[in-house]
Amino acid sequence: MTEARPQTVYRSLLGGDPRIGWLGPGLLLAIALHVLVVAAAFFLPRLLDRPHALRKPVIAHLVALGKPRDSQLLPRKESEPPAAASAPAKPAAPSKAASGPPRQLSRQEMMERALAGAARRTQDEKPDPERAGQETGSPSGTAASAEEGEKYFGEVEDRIHANYVVPSVISERERLYLSATVVIYIGRDGSIVKHVMTKPSGNSFIDQALVLAIQRTRLPAPPAELARLVRDEGLEINFKP
Amino acid sequence: MKRLLLLALAAGTAAHAQRPTIDISGARVQAYPIALAPPSGAPDGSDVMDVLAADFDRSGLFRLLDPRSFLADPAKEGSSASTIDFSKWTAVGAQALVKAAAKVEGDTVKVDFRLFDVPHASEMLRGEYSAPRAALRQIAHRFGDDVVRAFTQEPGIFQTRIAYVRETENGKQIAVADSDGYAPQQLTSGSINLLPAWMPGGRSLAFSSFRNGAGAHLYQVDLATRAVQPLVTMGDFATGAVFSPDGIRFAFSASQAENTDIWLSPIEGGAVRRLTDSRGIDISASWSPDGKRIAFVSDRAGSPQIYTMAIDGSDVRRVTFQGNYNQEPAWSPKGDLIAFSGRDEHRVFDLYVVNVQTGKVGRLTQSEGTNEKPSWAPNGRLLVFSSTRSGKKQLWTILPDGSNPRQITNDPRGASDAAWGPLAGK
Repeated sequence: MTEARPQTVYRSLLGGDPRIGWLGPGLLLAIALHVLVVAAAFFLPRLLDRPHALRKPVIAHLVALGKPRDSQLLPRKESEPPAAASAPAKPAAPSKAASGPPRQLSRQEMMERALAGAARRTQDEKPDPERAGQETGSPSGTAASAEEGEKYFGEVEDRIHANYVVPSVISERERLYLSATVVIYIGRDGSIVKHVMTKPSGNSFIDQALVLAIQRTRLPAPPAELARLVRDEGLEINFKP
Repeated sequence: MKRLLLLALAAGTAAHAQRPTIDISGARVQAYPIALAPPSGAPDGSDVMDVLAADFDRSGLFRLLDPRSFLADPAKEGSSASTIDFSKWTAVGAQALVKAAAKVEGDTVKVDFRLFDVPHASEMLRGEYSAPRAALRQIAHRFGDDVVRAFTQEPGIFQTRIAYVRETENGKQIAVADSDGYAPQQLTSGSINLLPAWMPGGRSLAFSSFRNGAGAHLYQVDLATRAVQPLVTMGDFATGAVFSPDGIRFAFSASQAENTDIWLSPIEGGAVRRLTDSRGIDISASWSPDGKRIAFVSDRAGSPQIYTMAIDGSDVRRVTFQGNYNQEPAWSPKGDLIAFSGRDEHRVFDLYVVNVQTGKVGRLTQSEGTNEKPSWAPNGRLLVFSSTRSGKKQLWTILPDGSNPRQITNDPRGASDAAWGPLAGK
């Protein structure tokens, strides 16, 4: 004879229990409310913290230090900004074996000599007393005048521009009609965390040079009000001739 | 639930701020690093390689790497893409590599040239170039032009020639030389001769000469025979001929009744037409590359300035407004720039370019002697001009951004008034 044992029935909580029929819809409501709270916590800060609409920045250059040039005169040659002061390069140590046939230089020695030569040339360069600029300009400025622009983006433009170099062997046509777009994503410390070439130029020499320009560029940290924007949305850079 | 998530994502996307955009223009152009490996075979190969190195250096297209830095042993590694260790060339910064092997057969020198793309470890160009030993330099010029074309898809200018005025003990004479200043040939031998201009086909030059003793007039000289014949003898003087790009007419300056104007003449002869009619002096015509406009110098506003006009003399536009003495316009083959010489506040002439559309003036030379008479290479990548920076007036080349100046003549008495000739076969 078998004894009747109480039967355990496992039910899904979502299925509801016939003994407490109100629990099923209640659970669903609770889950929906939780989802809403999580979604609000995720999206509301974005909605409320949305940066002010930015106007398209005007390209601005650092203004060179100098006196404004009379607009009636022919221009002076645009000069590179003076190099930062650096310690004089140490001359290569004289060889003890002064006599005898000339020794073949190692690559390291040749490189050191070349660097020392470049440093000497930089030191020998006389500042151009007629360099045009503004009396309130910067010694490292690259242009005689500038338009008003968004300061941070102007700085970004200047820094990338310093590395914006294309190879001479591309055709004139390609150089004249050069057009490419790269989006860069800037971290809070100014590092370029990612770059995406959204519109290649069509010439591998140029694309390679643009990627190199981005990789070589060191940017300042963005201001707090732009940090999230340039990190999450990125900054679109249109390269033109 | 899924639908809710999608809606939330869509709302989130819509809430994103607009991505800021900046434009960056004004790319600097950097010469392409190239290694010319020491050639193998006959010693003539080294001579050819020297000419090639000078061509590449002057062009501004290439940066020659110092052979002393080379890691590879060119003799051992051979000259095919399969035997070359490209990592050794990459290590010294080479993007391109040229290898050559020379041999001599009788009086003929043959050079087997190969051009390699170092990053891609592949051969770009190969060919055997030969010439009589007396014309050895042409081998380098021909291969150099082929290299330029392989990279830029544009013709090179190493095989072109330059006409100029040579100072001699018998006065200023018209001469022509290779684009590197070598192999000069004097075409005239007496009187004062100025302002050579290439005629269509590149077989004759027009020039201004005082040879008839009654003011300067226009003549032409055949490069092969050196035969001289009159071209324009009208007025008190006629000078500065320039030929239209289509080669069917030429403009020049002529003075009649003490009024100097720009005139237009069919090349086959016929009625000439006056294009300018101002009370001032209008001289130094230069054609736009599309042949629709002419740049010229006029002092109609009180000082010599650069103007342009349509070829019927209408639609005159002033192009330069800075400086008080701008002269010798030369319209670039691309059409965007006009090079000219201008006198600055130190009363020294220097070279400038003005953008025809924007009017922006850029300076090419500064604080290095007197620099005058710019003339564009037919590919628009180089200019020739005369400069006193090394002493006597000599011909120099320079890039349109004012960099890479290189002296190409060393005439004992000086050289000036350069006119860069057309591309070979044009």
